[in-house]
Amino acid sequence: MKLNRYVKAALTAAAVTMVGSLGHAQQAGGSLVFLVQPEPPTMAGYVSTSGPIGLLGPKIYDGLFDYDNDGKMVPMLAESVDVSADGKTVTFKLRKGVTWHDGEAFTSEDVQFTIMDVLKKVHPRGPNSFKEVSSIDTPDDHTAIFNLDNPAPYMLRALSSYESPMVPKHHLEGQDIKAAKLANSPIGTGPFKFVEWKKGQYIRLDKNENYWKDGRPYLDRIVGRFVPDASTRAAAMEKGEVLYAAYNAVSNVEAVRLNKEKDDISITTNGYSMINPMALIEFNTKEGPFTDAAVRRAISTAIDRQYMIDTIFFGYGKPATSALSSNFGATGLHAAMPNYPANGDIAAANKILDDAGYAKDANGVRMKAMFDLIPYGEDWKRGGQYIQQVLGEIGIDVELRYEDVPTWLKRIYHNYDFEMNLNYFYQLSDPVLGVHRHYGTNMIRQGTHFVNSSRYSNPELDALLSAGMTEPNAEKRAAVYLDIQKILANDMPVVNLFELEFLTVYNTKLKGAYDSAMGAYASFGDAYLE
Amino acid sequence: MADFWKRFSRNHQAVLGLLILCCVIFLAAIANIIYPGDPFLYSKFPLSPPGENGFLLGSDSIGRDVASGIAHGAKTSLLIGLIATLAAVFIGVIFGAFAGYYGGIVDDILMRVTEVFQTIPSFIFAILLVAIMKPSIESVVIAITVVSWPAVARLVRGEFLALKNREFVQACHTLGMGDVRIMLAEILPNCLSPIIVIGSLMVATAILIESGLAFLGLGDPNVMSWGFIISDGRSMLRVAWWICTFPGIAILITVLAINLVGEGLNDALNPRLRERK
Repeated sequence: MKLNRYVKAALTAAAVTMVGSLGHAQQAGGSLVFLVQPEPPTMAGYVSTSGPIGLLGPKIYDGLFDYDNDGKMVPMLAESVDVSADGKTVTFKLRKGVTWHDGEAFTSEDVQFTIMDVLKKVHPRGPNSFKEVSSIDTPDDHTAIFNLDNPAPYMLRALSSYESPMVPKHHLEGQDIKAAKLANSPIGTGPFKFVEWKKGQYIRLDKNENYWKDGRPYLDRIVGRFVPDASTRAAAMEKGEVLYAAYNAVSNVEAVRLNKEKDDISITTNGYSMINPMALIEFNTKEGPFTDAAVRRAISTAIDRQYMIDTIFFGYGKPATSALSSNFGATGLHAAMPNYPANGDIAAANKILDDAGYAKDANGVRMKAMFDLIPYGEDWKRGGQYIQQVLGEIGIDVELRYEDVPTWLKRIYHNYDFEMNLNYFYQLSDPVLGVHRHYGTNMIRQGTHFVNSSRYSNPELDALLSAGMTEPNAEKRAAVYLDIQKILANDMPVVNLFELEFLTVYNTKLKGAYDSAMGAYASFGDAYLE
Repeated sequence: MADFWKRFSRNHQAVLGLLILCCVIFLAAIANIIYPGDPFLYSKFPLSPPGENGFLLGSDSIGRDVASGIAHGAKTSLLIGLIATLAAVFIGVIFGAFAGYYGGIVDDILMRVTEVFQTIPSFIFAILLVAIMKPSIESVVIAITVVSWPAVARLVRGEFLALKNREFVQACHTLGMGDVRIMLAEILPNCLSPIIVIGSLMVATAILIESGLAFLGLGDPNVMSWGFIISDGRSMLRVAWWICTFPGIAILITVLAINLVGEGLNDALNPRLRERK
């Protein structure tokens, strides 16, 4: 017996070495411990798009498609998709032989239920992504036909396991989706099965032996650890206790230091192109000092975006040049606009305010304002302090307010009791998914987080947004978005500051977990330890 | 006065403490002269080590001058310490005086109220108060006052209990003096020394609480204070040690100095220690 085991081990080792020498180092086994910050409220990625849920959910749930770094669709639960000539019928051929973690078969009924009864109803962005889907036909177990009212090309950008996870109908049907037990004991088709959630400590996922993709996942186990203190997180990374930290769980300053000082720790900005985060200031356009677009333009003109990137985010980021992220340049939708100077122009900003008739008093103050800061840590506090100084230079006397998360959310999105608010939004892979929600009149939805809290409403813009949503022709669509960007560069209900570049810090032992387009929100089926 | 100073100066540590404290007060007073600008003013030189780019004690993550922050922060810390202490002493004296002087049911009620405040750990209570109110300089002062006054109340009550049956108080009663006048004009002056001593020590505690709150991010984001600088620099300790270190030293020596002075006052004002060599 004993000898046998040794022989086996030796053979395995030899095989591994051989495979290694051939340049294929993917080896099965091992546990990946990584940082999840903060602890998620639930594991219901179909109800909430909250970041920490995104770190764990896609390991458990699959989407219909995944996306590679060039934005191409990679088959997951769907093997292929076919869009009819008029764009109104989208047919998905589903993978055969896929089972849920409880052994039940995955069928087109699950897809129908997920889209129509879950994502379209309770998901924050689903109602937008699948707005045009009026019904789904299921002629057989492995075909799902989406019937659309209008063409919706952006829908095909929202099929990842993070954005639109496929959930088991037999665990949710007939229940209150938001309150279902599945939220805390998830059952998906993904490469890892949920095992245990030790509140305040970790979530443990084990390998799904019956995963549909041959030989995957490589890892035996994934553990998401919750460490509330920033310096402890950096120390855990430094000591090799955790191998992976995305979304600035380790702060930029520590990440840069670890990358420099430790041979086995590296950093990357890859893995965020589908997320497209944008730092910005939301203004209350209905009451208070910022009802006049000229004041908002002046603020956009005064701020030195490059300075904020260089000092506060250690060089990671790109100055915003319009309401859309420059990452949309790939699809031709982005165009640089005036009023977004990268290095700030105090004199020009002062002139805008002078021309608009806001005179300085004896103390050089034109107006007073209250500035709320997103309570997500020190970087944002520092950003707020910098902006406070700059606005002082153009005669706007700003007071800062920094509250806890629930109070802040309530103030901005429930009560509209704010004047200006520092924040960041995900613009996602298409403006329809991530950008429309800030500006459309239909997105003034009191009580819904991260939508049009400026209460900006412009019928002309609404018409353009609708056109941008349904226009299938790329050139015509670009022309629509050019007009949208021109209007927003002038009206500025939101001042975009800079495109954030999140850092992923990883131990070089870990491979295949940080270079996909979805980055940390990917399934990790291809991740392995060396 | 000369007599008092003689007794005070006999304690060399206290004199040293007083000297340091005077320096800190002086620094606070001239902060606007040596660093005329806004201490929040950013610069193009973030994380400059001490001595570089014209920053005596270095600069922080957005290029703010740490030395300027310490000078302006001295003003904040001392002011908060002083105002919170005065307020706490005021409330504590009223509670203690009435409880001690009248005794009986008044004493019971007032002391039970005091105990309610005393049973809650003071720093946690302060965090709670500031978190409920908006973090601002006023709410910090209020929080420190609320957690500090019970100690004064108990002390004053004890003194009043001891003094209220003394002959000079009885004499006042026979002369027909009112209760309030007896409390204010006769008993209170006689228990001033312990109040002064506890008050001086409370200033030190108040500075520590304020720094602690600011460190936890509960300080007023619009006012420069030592705790604020430390809180801001904490996450960069490994990269830029100077941001936390210098304000930390400032807190250390200021609190130490106030404690030494408090000690000295105790020695000088305590009649039982007067003969101590």
